[in-house]
Amino acid sequence: MAKKGLQTTDKDIINLAKIVGEKEILFKKADLLAYDCDGFTIHKHLPKAVVFPNSTKEVAEVVKYCDLNQLPFLARGAGTGLSGGAIPLNGEVIISLVKMKRLLSVDLENRRAVVEPGFVNLKLTNSIADKGYYYAPDPSSQYACTIGGNVAENAGGAHCLKYGVTTNHILGLEVVLPSGEIIDISTNGVLDLPGYDLLGLLTGSEGTLGIVTKITVRILKNPEAKQTVLAYFDKVEDGSQAVSDIISSGIVPAALEMMDKTAIEGVEAAAFPVGHPKDIEALLLIEVDGISVGITEQIKQILEVCKKRNVREVKVAQSEEERGRWWANRKTGFGAMGAISPDYLVQDGVIPRSRLPEVLARINKISEESGLRIANIFHAGDGNLHPLVLFDARKSGEIEKALAAGSECLRVCADVGGTITGEHGVGIEKREEMRFVFTEREIAAQTDIRDVFNPKNLLNAGKLFPSPGRCVEVKKEMKNARETFV
Amino acid sequence: MSLRENELKGEPPCHTNSLSNYLWSDPPDEHKWADCVHCGLCLEACPTYEQTGQEQHSPRGRVHLIKSVAEGKLVVDDDFADPVFVCLDCRACTTACPADVDVGGLIEEARGQVRQAMPLKGWKGMTSKFLLEGLFPHQSRLHSLGSLLAFYQKSGLQKVVRKTGLINMMPKHLVEMEAIMPAIGIPVQKKYKEQKVIKAKGETKREVAMLTGCIMDIMFSDINQSTINVLTKNGNDVSIPKNQTCCGALHVHAGDREMGRKLAKQNIEAFKDAEKVITNAAGCGCMLKEYPELFREEPEWHEKAEEFAQKVEDISKYLYDTGYEKPKVELNTRITYHDACHLAHGQGVREQPRDLLINIPGVEMVHMPNADRCCGSAGVYNITNPEMAGAVLESKMKNVPEDVEMISMGNPGCMLQMAVGVEKYGRNQKIVHTVQLLDWAYQKEENERGNNGEKGFAND
Amino acid sequence: MITSDLLNDLQIIVSDERVVKGQNGDDFLGNSGRIVVKPESEEEITKILQYANAHNRKISIAAGGTKRGFGGITEAEDIELSLENFKGIMEHTVGDMTLTVKSGTPFKELQAYLAQYNQKISLDPFYPERATIGGIIAANDSGPKRLGYGSARDAVIGLRIAYPNGSVIRTGGKVVKNVAGYDMNKLFIGSMGTIGVITEVTLKLRPLPQYESVILLAFPDGHHEWMKSFAVELLDSMMEPVALELLSPTLSENLTGCRYYTVAISFEDVEASVHYQEEFVKKLSSSFANISILEKEKACQFWEHFYNIDHKESEKNETKATLKIAVINLDVIRVIKECEYLSDIHNLKIEGHGGFGHGLCHVHLSGAVEDVKTAITQLRKLATELNGYAVLKYLPLKLRQEINVWGEEPSYFSLLKGIKEKIDPKKILNPGRFVGGI
Repeated sequence: MAKKGLQTTDKDIINLAKIVGEKEILFKKADLLAYDCDGFTIHKHLPKAVVFPNSTKEVAEVVKYCDLNQLPFLARGAGTGLSGGAIPLNGEVIISLVKMKRLLSVDLENRRAVVEPGFVNLKLTNSIADKGYYYAPDPSSQYACTIGGNVAENAGGAHCLKYGVTTNHILGLEVVLPSGEIIDISTNGVLDLPGYDLLGLLTGSEGTLGIVTKITVRILKNPEAKQTVLAYFDKVEDGSQAVSDIISSGIVPAALEMMDKTAIEGVEAAAFPVGHPKDIEALLLIEVDGISVGITEQIKQILEVCKKRNVREVKVAQSEEERGRWWANRKTGFGAMGAISPDYLVQDGVIPRSRLPEVLARINKISEESGLRIANIFHAGDGNLHPLVLFDARKSGEIEKALAAGSECLRVCADVGGTITGEHGVGIEKREEMRFVFTEREIAAQTDIRDVFNPKNLLNAGKLFPSPGRCVEVKKEMKNARETFV
Repeated sequence: MSLRENELKGEPPCHTNSLSNYLWSDPPDEHKWADCVHCGLCLEACPTYEQTGQEQHSPRGRVHLIKSVAEGKLVVDDDFADPVFVCLDCRACTTACPADVDVGGLIEEARGQVRQAMPLKGWKGMTSKFLLEGLFPHQSRLHSLGSLLAFYQKSGLQKVVRKTGLINMMPKHLVEMEAIMPAIGIPVQKKYKEQKVIKAKGETKREVAMLTGCIMDIMFSDINQSTINVLTKNGNDVSIPKNQTCCGALHVHAGDREMGRKLAKQNIEAFKDAEKVITNAAGCGCMLKEYPELFREEPEWHEKAEEFAQKVEDISKYLYDTGYEKPKVELNTRITYHDACHLAHGQGVREQPRDLLINIPGVEMVHMPNADRCCGSAGVYNITNPEMAGAVLESKMKNVPEDVEMISMGNPGCMLQMAVGVEKYGRNQKIVHTVQLLDWAYQKEENERGNNGEKGFAND
Repeated sequence: MITSDLLNDLQIIVSDERVVKGQNGDDFLGNSGRIVVKPESEEEITKILQYANAHNRKISIAAGGTKRGFGGITEAEDIELSLENFKGIMEHTVGDMTLTVKSGTPFKELQAYLAQYNQKISLDPFYPERATIGGIIAANDSGPKRLGYGSARDAVIGLRIAYPNGSVIRTGGKVVKNVAGYDMNKLFIGSMGTIGVITEVTLKLRPLPQYESVILLAFPDGHHEWMKSFAVELLDSMMEPVALELLSPTLSENLTGCRYYTVAISFEDVEASVHYQEEFVKKLSSSFANISILEKEKACQFWEHFYNIDHKESEKNETKATLKIAVINLDVIRVIKECEYLSDIHNLKIEGHGGFGHGLCHVHLSGAVEDVKTAITQLRKLATELNGYAVLKYLPLKLRQEINVWGEEPSYFSLLKGIKEKIDPKKILNPGRFVGGI
């Protein structure tokens, strides 16, 4: 832990240590190895160093130093991202923001809170819960992920169907630009500042436009009541049709989740089983919230829809404890795949809800053809699919097969008018798949914007966009891959 | 995963990967890290990550490093040893992990490699060697130490040392420890030396054997006494096998797995005839249950250890499961409960001790936020890593409710550490073991019956 | 180049009758063009842009004309690109609750069409008959119901943008959740047409509420602390108002006939829930406010009236101005109070309203030009003191040339300028229409 003097002759390390302090920099190989990937583990790369600034000023000074000395750098929060956005592809200096984890202020009357980027998502809700308020975006990693990371990825969660994703809850940002300049965009939370919407642009820019050092978020009052319904279907088609019917009947559920048979097998074998029947093809987890008298009617409607769609069994949670169990079972769904497969790869496509049955059939086909099982856990309400491709990395060739199958799933999503990522981001993982949804021109329009903020491309280079040199080759690869599978 | 079990029953794992830099026997188990998908849900559960914010001091970071050595990316050296030994081994990550990755097991195995690669030197080495090899495994030496400590306290020497400032010559964290040293009583091992079985009061319903523990029986012999009292009160014949020894937890935590195995074998033999092995120290209980981990390369002992582990039970869980007599008189007190890591995370025992406590009439239980957060004791961690232990303790003490009279828990290490906390932060709570409160309630009941309603019980 | 050449060139791109000379000389709002061209397809739009870009012709974009008084200091650019003929629904997937439309489609037409399917766009812009969806998005217009439903940035899921060089890019997509690449939709929402022409808009829809009502709480004593504590208590409750708008007495008189400070509270839900919330408000406010409740159609009518306030043609010798003032939520009370104060001392008609839940106010001024100017200065000063800002959403051209419509440039102006220069290096689109003259 405690180091006595810096045991290095690297001038960059020595200079960076002068900014953040000797205890707040890592540069030994054993320490750096822990930073060679984030939640996406297929790519790994060692950073040059990891620094832990304690203030915006320190972040700015580190950035200025990197800019001046042409050192690539990137920001990192808890490192729970699933697309590799925090992996130091170019041997970056990692600016870890976990020491900047203060809750700076809470203003209940004006419904906002100001946090530092390293503040953990769930802690915000926990610290205002006693007053009856909460912070809406609830990614499954909310126990650990930071709000700074949420801003970078524009994180979603199960309840964003009704309440929106991170970008809908960001009121202001303090940002250190790649030049080291500190800018304040509405951190007091005033809406619609004159000028292009930089808040909207920065949110979800995956750490390529600037480093967020202070965040003003909107907080919400708890709903008066909440009801949760669990419905089991013998046919996937019935389940997906029920999803459409619920939405088009005029109900806006807080959450509407679906799991298929393989996924159910996984969650039932893992840490939080709830006793779902193993022979059903699909289950829906539906939550409505709002004014108590209103949701009683909505629940009635939901039950009717389910019955109309041949539900085998449908039940309403009878207690907070039961509701909690259903949600724990769902929220730990990815990790639970460990119980039925040594490895898995999660995808994050989005489709128009109405295409659900067709897309599921095509994913099944991909599964059959690749010989890999694919479990589906998804936010059915907003069409956000998480196909989990199950594989065993120890078998030679399986990683490649899984990657190809994952990519094929995204191709299907793009084909039906959807997109390749709904909440996990592009990062390293889906760079090439960007071409499924964007033309060269559209990608160039985005890199043009990056060049305005990040002209030297020292900040988190190589993420988000396909590498231009490889495009022809990649297209050919993708084409071949498609021919193999279709 | 069933895969792991199958392989365990077959051949011992061997190095298929020639790149591995684990060059000694009993290396970290590949299957344990294969389950980790690096999701990071463990981060916030980890007290050392909370303090440092650094990945290498987080559960998944440590797992990643342990795996990196096996992949040949890293060697077993000081830089690797640092994160592996800064771990409190509190197992909070195991609770948080959706895939049930056994981080604690990996850490202990990795420590075994480190200690084989680099035997301890210097002050740390001496302390560690003295405590782990010279003292804990030897009952007679422990008993002498106990007598010495008792003399130290009773003779007034303690006062002299404190007053004269002699104490200032001790390292700061040892001063803190000294300040809270419990009054030393007679070890139950000594007291019941002549009795083969301590008979149940009234009808015998079950027979149990008790692990007295090494430190427990010296520093906290009254807790062992209370344990015997509540067991016999509830119809258990209690035996205290003579050949039992230290559980080995401290050795295994420190990476001395060889010594751990030696002690494990002795205990497995000592308790061969017992049907139930009762412990009142969470750390010991957890270790006993994990003996099979020590014998991954010795199938014969592995089987014995599995059998033995099945018999081990924490006192609170045992009483809860077999049923116990609920006290009838009131102990009017406000308490809070601290989950010992090796009880909550290690053995999944959370509700049972709370149940025991709230069923004592007049006991008001106040919720402690983050009750299952490590206190920083972690075996001898507070002696080997005082700085980190102090920071973890500070964070723990912030969660202790102001308005309680006692903090109850089920582990002696925690009791010492929490007592340091109470002393250091000017708090006034009494630190008690769960069975002590239950025992006091029974005693008060008996006194009242004996004295015909007259108050005969003193809280302290 | 003389106008007739321009006319001829453009007539090669679109049919003759859709290229006309602009009405020069009499346009007190400006932002028009010497030539007005009315394309009917995206292809025509891109060709016009290509032409203009190649020949350095400046373009102003318009459709319904409701934002002609918003920004810009030129009377007429070379070309007015009018999208009023570029309208219609491209795709409505009822089950997905998404809608793709051409940008020149008037808002009210869209809502009327969607109502057949019990759906709606959850925006409540001003002048919905004339305002087009493209203009609403380009100017990021929103009304009181922003509290419940958010603004354009929450409703738009995809756009097609014709760049100044004539290329077309798509931003976002047709799905409600999308983080592929930068969130480019946001860049164009509120960009005032300075970096691209929005040609198509894809929106996520919401179900029409089964029932709605507006509660009007009039505060006869005008006691500001009561209004504030009422707002705080309602917001702190679990009720779910979709609007919580404070109206100045003058505006209230215009809308309700009652010259008191009034709070308009909107509930939209199933009937039982709306009534339940009405009861809650009654209990909360009965001791200090007069209550009237408008149910269903009456509630709709109230809002219709509201969205069309101050859209009458200006009288001679009277100057009109509209400010959008943004402050921290509860400070709207101070802005609206200031309106009343200024109207007294300057003999102005000032109608103002502001949302307690979002902090956005609109203030309509009319009176003698000097008085209007003084009031603008004072309101702007107050907004700055409250850490907010004031933007002029409507002001005659002459005054726009005098008064900085957008206020001070932000400290990060170089980024805004950089974006403009990257996309529109020749500055042909709505030149000078936006903050800092971009």
